[in-house]
Amino acid sequence: MTGIGRGGMPIRVLLVEDSPGDVRLTREAFRDANQFIQLDVASDGVEAMAFLRHEGAYSNALRPDLILLDLNLPKMDGREVLAQIKQDAKLKTIPTIILTTSAAEADIATSYQLHANSYLKKPVQLDEFDALVKSINDFWLTKVVLPEQGHSE
Amino acid sequence: MSPSSEWAEPREKHRGLLMLEEALQESEERYRMLLDGIEDYAIFMMDTQGRVVSWNAGAERIKGYTADQIIGHNFSCFFPLEAIEQGRPEEILRLTATSGRHEEQGMRVRKDGSRFFANVTFTALHDSAGNLRGFSEFSHDLSERAESEAKYRGLLEAAPDAMVVVKQGGEIALLNVQAEKQFGYHRNELVGQQVTTIIPEGFAERLLADGLRSTADALAQQIGTGIELTGRRKNGSEFPIELMLSPLQSAEGILVTAAIRDITTRKLVETQLLQKVEELHRSNEELEQFAYVASHDLQEPLRMVSSYTQLLSRRYKGKLDSDADEFIAFAVDGANRMQRLIQDLLAYSRVGTKGKELLATSSEAALQHALLNLRVAIEENSVLVTYGSLPTVLADEVQLIQLFQNLVGNAIKYRSQAIPHVHISAIRNDSKEWMFLVQDNGMGIDRQYFDKIFGMFQRLHTREHFSGTGIGLAICKKIVERHGGSISVDSQLGQGSTFRFALQESARKS
Repeated sequence: MTGIGRGGMPIRVLLVEDSPGDVRLTREAFRDANQFIQLDVASDGVEAMAFLRHEGAYSNALRPDLILLDLNLPKMDGREVLAQIKQDAKLKTIPTIILTTSAAEADIATSYQLHANSYLKKPVQLDEFDALVKSINDFWLTKVVLPEQGHSE
Repeated sequence: MSPSSEWAEPREKHRGLLMLEEALQESEERYRMLLDGIEDYAIFMMDTQGRVVSWNAGAERIKGYTADQIIGHNFSCFFPLEAIEQGRPEEILRLTATSGRHEEQGMRVRKDGSRFFANVTFTALHDSAGNLRGFSEFSHDLSERAESEAKYRGLLEAAPDAMVVVKQGGEIALLNVQAEKQFGYHRNELVGQQVTTIIPEGFAERLLADGLRSTADALAQQIGTGIELTGRRKNGSEFPIELMLSPLQSAEGILVTAAIRDITTRKLVETQLLQKVEELHRSNEELEQFAYVASHDLQEPLRMVSSYTQLLSRRYKGKLDSDADEFIAFAVDGANRMQRLIQDLLAYSRVGTKGKELLATSSEAALQHALLNLRVAIEENSVLVTYGSLPTVLADEVQLIQLFQNLVGNAIKYRSQAIPHVHISAIRNDSKEWMFLVQDNGMGIDRQYFDKIFGMFQRLHTREHFSGTGIGLAICKKIVERHGGSISVDSQLGQGSTFRFALQESARKS
């Protein structure tokens, strides 16, 4: 059913998250949801932008099909990362989902104003987190039709 | 001309003169009576030589002669011997005749030989042709005034406050010993000085009428009201004072008596009280903020503990030994309970930090909303919920819904064997307050726990029997208190409970 991206390539997800515990949990959850997903991780905002723009150590980084972005990050915060992605003609077509513990109305409003594709709150319970990751896979990585890579402008 | 008219004319003339004379006599009589009535002033008339021709009651009282004893005698007998030898009486008459008026203060002698200090005014009297006809003298015994002043001074000294008597021009006329102490001056240094020396601002300005009102009117409005100003001591230090003013009519015009109270201590206490209230307010806010931040930030690491113990349990249950399974189970349970506690703590602190403005709110709509949220529990337990017409009150709607939800939810949770019945009603407490009652037929609460149940995380039952952290009623209490009311319970074991809370009526009618 699911698993292989366009042109037989694996589906790539960039997770921008500074907590190793959360990274591992997300990795576990995606493994359960879809074994063909390639999860790349950036642990702060600066690293995320370098990855997306193929800078420095990331010159060979591949363009993700989906970005999962935490809001509170070291060096460059998630809002700034989101703003830069959505102002970048090459990057703005990549669906960018905010995945955070914050339920603050201000954070939700700001994220959508910066053109986040959706805003998801990390559930407290493991079962609910698993279910959320599964629904991300089912919708964003399976049902949603995305533009061909390289035709984003 | 007829004979009758010839005779009539002189007769008429004669009658007219008589009437005029009578009128003159009458007016003179009235005038004399008026003068006689004056006792504070000696008023009498003299001929051009200084011989007394009239005498009033005041003259008799002050100088000691009756009219019979003095009329016809020369006024020089009122002077001390040395003045007579110097020709002072004649000189005064000469001065008065020349200038028309002469005023002086000097020693006078009574009939009994005693002396007194008097203020005397002489006026020259002329006839219609301008010829000098005589003199009038007005005199006043100044020692009498000194005496009344002494009485007044005694009164001032007896006053517990600093008292300062000020003239309309702002000049200090009198002060008492308390005023000397309070301002650090000797009275000689202050009498005659401007009041701004000791009260730099706010007092002198009040002495001046604003043009439309008289000084007396202006002062009358300030009588009995304390005016808070700043006093300045001789050494330049300043201190807060409270001023009470009262006007005093005197021969010199209006004097103002000012009672001055040093309110340093009162001000200090007031300031301290205000500071304490502010501190309390701030520490309360900090505490709420702390609870919110702490519980919010605690959630993150706890989510890790909880998620990974659950992951452990899911992956390794039955794969390690039975001890490991048990240990993991306790860890999972502990993490879950802590999560609920933190969420409840967060909910509790949100009542204060996330509360909305109190607005006119239909309590009936709020109750209906709460019942909708509880519909699963209501249906599962076949609960009968009844309520009458409920008023519009001043409330935060979200919190009012939560309040009803917690109370009705508790009534369902702690039900008895009988079919649960919850009745909600409101009665007007006084003109501006509604008392709400939430009555149930549940298991009831022992009297000794009436206060305890509103405390944070207070539970009367084991977790095995009833779930929950014990935050529900604490939140209810905090919500009601945030609305300016209080909540209480009345109950008997096995007989059900009645929770009461009061809310302010909204100005807007429902």
